[in-house]
Amino acid sequence: MQVSNTIDCNGLSPAPTLLRIMQALVGRDDCGAPLNVLVGSDCNCDRLAASLGPLAGDVQLSHNIRQFASIN
Amino acid sequence: MLEDPAKESSETHRRYANTPETPDFAFDPEDPWTQTFQEGLARADLRGKTVYEVGVGTGINVAFILRNCGAARVYGSDLDPRLVVLAESNLRSLSPQHAAYFEPVHGSVSLIDTDAARAKIDKTDVVIACIPQVGEPSDERLTAFREAQSVKLAKGAEDEAEDHIAHYYPWSLFDEYPYNSVGLGLNEALMRRVRQQAPHAQLVMNFGCRIGTEIICECFEANGYKPEKIASKIVLQHAGTDISFFVTLEKALSGTNLEKQLVCKFYSDPDGKKPLSATEAQNLIDMDPEVALYHEVAVIRGIPITN
Repeated sequence: MQVSNTIDCNGLSPAPTLLRIMQALVGRDDCGAPLNVLVGSDCNCDRLAASLGPLAGDVQLSHNIRQFASIN
Repeated sequence: MLEDPAKESSETHRRYANTPETPDFAFDPEDPWTQTFQEGLARADLRGKTVYEVGVGTGINVAFILRNCGAARVYGSDLDPRLVVLAESNLRSLSPQHAAYFEPVHGSVSLIDTDAARAKIDKTDVVIACIPQVGEPSDERLTAFREAQSVKLAKGAEDEAEDHIAHYYPWSLFDEYPYNSVGLGLNEALMRRVRQQAPHAQLVMNFGCRIGTEIICECFEANGYKPEKIASKIVLQHAGTDISFFVTLEKALSGTNLEKQLVCKFYSDPDGKKPLSATEAQNLIDMDPEVALYHEVAVIRGIPITN
């Protein structure tokens, strides 16, 4: 079950964004690196992280895909 | 005064017989989904337009839009190569005078992913489609997600009927599309392809709205289309239909403070006045597998947004 290390959630409202992240985490090999999640400019990352609960530590949320390039 | 297109189409229905050949591998054209789709097509201003149907099935819609909606020309393709041949044959018997105005794309065509299909899309005014919105029950990643939420698959859900590909899509293959998370990955893939290939073409798509019309409209907007609901009907859900995908979504959102933002829409009555979540609907099915449940089918037209 190969899942990309970056997922695009641009354009999604909070509920489907959260579902997409959960689905990606379930299908992901444990590679140690956080899952990069690209979110839209109107996404409240703090609120999304709170909804993720303990899963928040497994993801890196960003409005800008270039940020992931500098992390990885 | 303008004629009510729905009234006009039903009257036109009475003037012609609609009895296409329907083998087991074709979606049943008598299904209320098709009736709703045709009500939407009758309201979609197709007169004089060139239309491409993604997933022609028996060809019943091709006959309808040429005969009843006044479309100038119809292109069409299907993932199952037998169906385009069937559609041609059915059109010749249902409406022989229109047979020359149907130009099928032969072979197996996923969405519009062949050169021949794209060449026709270039010349198309309106793309119409009713394509699956539920992932394959046997999809490996979908199964893992469902099991992570401790949701069981309905008995027999993994059995593949002859018309299986008319109902389910390979969910993991469409994971690059954000709305795949709610079962709209295949539909979003079509939106993006049409937007790229024919940026001025409208979309008219038929949806089972168990995920909610709001999120379907969000998908249109996110892909550059202004959505408009042009037909709607509450229909009886097929007995034995597996709804575990929708239950899984609701369970995954439980306790996240977002659960109220996505509640699937089923009904316990044929008028659509008594709503049920997917979880509540599943509880009723567990108590009585033959229980009558309903959901909305709606036709959404997407008008391309020009900047």
